Parts: sequence; C-alpha cells; structure tokens
Amino acid sequence: MAATGVTLRTASTRSGPGYWVAGYVSMLRFDWARMRQWLVMFLAIQLLMGAGMSVMYGFFLPVIPDVVALYITTGVPTLALIPVGFVIVPQTIAQQRLEGSYEFLWSLPVPKIIVAASTFTLLTVLALPGVVIALLVGVWRYGVTLDVQPSIVPALVLTALMAASVGYAMGHAISNPQLTNMVTNLVVFFVLLFSPIAFPPSRFPQWLQTVNAWLPFEHMAAVVRASLAPHLVPGGVASDYLIVTAWTVGGWLVATWVVRRRR
Amino acid sequence: MAALDAEFKIRRGLSYWWDGYTRMVRWEFIDIRGIAVFAIVIQLVIGALFVLGVGLFFDDIPLRSAQYLTTGSFVVCLITVAMVAAPQIIAAQKMSQQYEYRWSLPVPRSAATLAWFTVALAIGLPGALVALVVGAIRYGVTYDVSAMIVPAVFAGLLTAGLIGYAMAHTLKPMVAQLTATALLFVVLGFAPINFPPENLPGWLATLNLWLPFYPMAVVVRSALLPGEAGNVAQSYLVLGAWAIGCGAAVIWAIGRRK
Repeated sequence: MAATGVTLRTASTRSGPGYWVAGYVSMLRFDWARMRQWLVMFLAIQLLMGAGMSVMYGFFLPVIPDVVALYITTGVPTLALIPVGFVIVPQTIAQQRLEGSYEFLWSLPVPKIIVAASTFTLLTVLALPGVVIALLVGVWRYGVTLDVQPSIVPALVLTALMAASVGYAMGHAISNPQLTNMVTNLVVFFVLLFSPIAFPPSRFPQWLQTVNAWLPFEHMAAVVRASLAPHLVPGGVASDYLIVTAWTVGGWLVATWVVRRRR
Repeated sequence: MAALDAEFKIRRGLSYWWDGYTRMVRWEFIDIRGIAVFAIVIQLVIGALFVLGVGLFFDDIPLRSAQYLTTGSFVVCLITVAMVAAPQIIAAQKMSQQYEYRWSLPVPRSAATLAWFTVALAIGLPGALVALVVGAIRYGVTYDVSAMIVPAVFAGLLTAGLIGYAMAHTLKPMVAQLTATALLFVVLGFAPINFPPENLPGWLATLNLWLPFYPMAVVVRSALLPGEAGNVAQSYLVLGAWAIGCGAAVIWAIGRRK
C-alpha cells in the first residue's frame, strides 16, 4: 500500500500555496539556468542601447545645453530597460518556438501562471544592474547632478515589470518568429527616434505627441525621470504611473488569454 | 579533343566574364526575389524616417547639421546593404550549406562578387535618394551635384562591399553577424557621417580619419554639397588602402582550396 500512499500524497500537494511556492522556486531555478549563458550579451545590449545611445545623441547636437544633458541622462535608464522587455523577452520566446522547447515548457508540472511569474521576476531583476551601469555612464559623460528620490525603486521595478509583461504578451501572441523579429526591430527604431525618452515631448509634432500619449514609452521615461530629476516633470507623474500600470495589466491579460487557449 | 578545346577557349576573355556577370546579377536577384521588394521598401522607409527622426533631436536644426544628416543618410543607405547585410546573408548561406555550391558555379569569382555589389547598389540606392529628397523638402538643404559623385559612390560602395565581403568570408557565421551589427552601430553613431566631426571628442575624430566610414562620407559629400571640401584626396587614399587590404583578404579567402 506504500505505492498508493505516495500517489495520494503527490495528488494532495498539487494544489494550495505550498505547491505554488515550490513551483515558483523551481521555475526560477530553471529559468535562471537557461538564461545564465546570455547574461553577458544581455548586459552588452543594455549598455549599447542605454549608455551607447545617450553618448550618440550627444554627438548629433553641436551644443548640449545643461537641461538637454539632464534630459538625455535621465532617459538612459528607460533606454536600457526597453531592449530587455521589448526585444529579449519576445525573441527568447520566438527562439523557443523555433527550437521546439515552447511546448515543452508548458508541459512542466507547474501552474502556467507560475511559469509566467518566474519569467517576469527574473527579467525584472536581471534588467536592473544594466540600468544602473548605463545611468552611471550617462552621468559620467554629461557631468550632470541627479536628485535621486526614494521613488526610484518602485519606478524602476514597475517599468521593468511593464516592459517584461508587454514583451511576454507580444512573444506569446505573435506565433510567427520572423514577425516577432520584425516587430521588435520596429519597436527599437520607433523608441530611439520617435519617442520622447531623451527629449521633451514638445519637440514632436502634435500628432506624434498624441500617438506617444497612448504608447507606454513616454510614460516609462516620465516615471523614471521624476525620481532622478523631479523638476523636469513639474506636473507630477500620477497619470504616468497609472498608464504604465495599465500596460502591465494589459500585458498580463493578453498573455493569460493566449496561454490558456488550448490548441 | 577538338570539342574540348573549343569549349576550353570560350571559358575566358571579356565576353565570358561579362556573360558570367549578367547571369550572376540575374541569379542574385532571383535568389532574393521574395524579399527584394520588401528590402527596398524598408530601405526607403528608413532613409526617410531617419532623416526626419534625427531632426526631432533639435529644437531648430542648424543648416550644417541638416546638410550632414541628409547626405550622411544617403551614404548610410548606400553602404548598409553591402557592408551590413552581406555578412548576414553569407553567414546564412554558410549555415544552410549553399555557400560551397555557389562557388561551384561556372563563372569567374570576380564576376560573381561584382554581381552581388550591383544588386546591393540596386537595393540601397532608392532609400539613399529618398533621404536626399526628404532632406531637401524638410530642411531646405540644396545640393550641387558634380560629376565626382560617380567615382565617389563607386569608391564608397566598393570599399564597403569589400569590408562586408572580407568579414563574411573570413569570419565564422555567428561572429560575422555580431560584427556586422556592431559595425552598423559604429556607422550610425560613432563616425561623423550623420553629424559634423567637430561634435566628436578630438581623439575619436582623429581615429575616424583612418577608419573607412568617415572617408566614404567625405568623398560623397564633396560631390553633393557646394563648398564642402574636406580632405577628399586623403579620403580616397584611405578608402583605397582599405579596399586593397580587404580585397586581398577576400581573394585569399575565396581563392584558397580546402
């Protein structure tokens, strides 16, 4: 009867908070083991797009007034966050589809929501060191003084979480890996040239300002900027926090819908 | 034996080379037929949007910046296919095992190489021209095109193509792809192509005099803008040196037997 006992015990542990926590910890270890090999590339991309872009923006301008330098520097953390969430996350999922491990992941004996939660946690945490280094490079290059607020912690965690969530939804919702590739490239192009991250939105034509008001990028930048140089965002960032949160929840909803669908 | 001799005789000379060249141009076009239109459209969009997007960095863009931006985008569009796309395409050919097959085709390798450069020019040119048009409309940049544009474009494209080719044929596929991406980043942001060299720190501006990217922009710009001299002669020399160096590497790589 020992065998039955084991079966019963397994069956009874496969629900409840204990099972969830155990699954979450196992998935974290599983994801970490898979992602470890990419850590260096991860950091390189963040530095390239964060610190590299901030230096590049400076080369285009013949004269850099102090306020512009401050805008660019406080945009760096956002620029370094975007490739993690909007490029690496969906491309990792596209990669899984190509190599056939996508279905395997869903076959693991953990709730699907735990699989997603583990990805969010890991990518949010892994994104942060690159952000800090990129910011330091920006500060060194432009010699600006930041007025760092305690709100930097929730600001970075929320924006990183949002980027990972939307990227996750994109990765799962787009089933063709090549299309994923194209969309992520488009996002990078748009973010670097047509989003008011390193520049005030007032530079842009009205219609582009309207487009950006609905997209997450400008609000990510505002949330982060408010905790690095509050005087640049005099109107407060309550609505920006709200919009970033809405995109996060939206990402979760889309991901949940896609993942729960049976094929 | 007579038949063999006859066949042997036609397999050389200018007409044989030309025949191989035209066939390979058709071959390359058919090979990328599926994505050719798409690639040209992407180049058009990037050519136009880059010129417009960078303008947003400025409150009010100075004429000199606008001139550099539009002519720089012309150069970038022109050379990216040859220098950045080629290593990626050839890396894919190596991975899909087409690479050896292509060299087994009965055409001179120089004809096959120039055929690819021709196709690269055809894909890049529309986007490059659009960059100039958009710059003229949006920023009021005027051009003074001299006949030197022909050798300038030829020298720039040939050097860029040989750099791309040298990378593609001597490096491992993965390394070639990563290097190509890094190169694009350097071309767009760390070489004074889209902005004047005085915006760079002194050491980086000096370094760029000897790298091939800035000289490409100098020779093309001197043929497009009035009163934009720069070190044209030196730039041609630097380009020539890079072309010869990379050409030698290509000849070594595609000529050797394995």
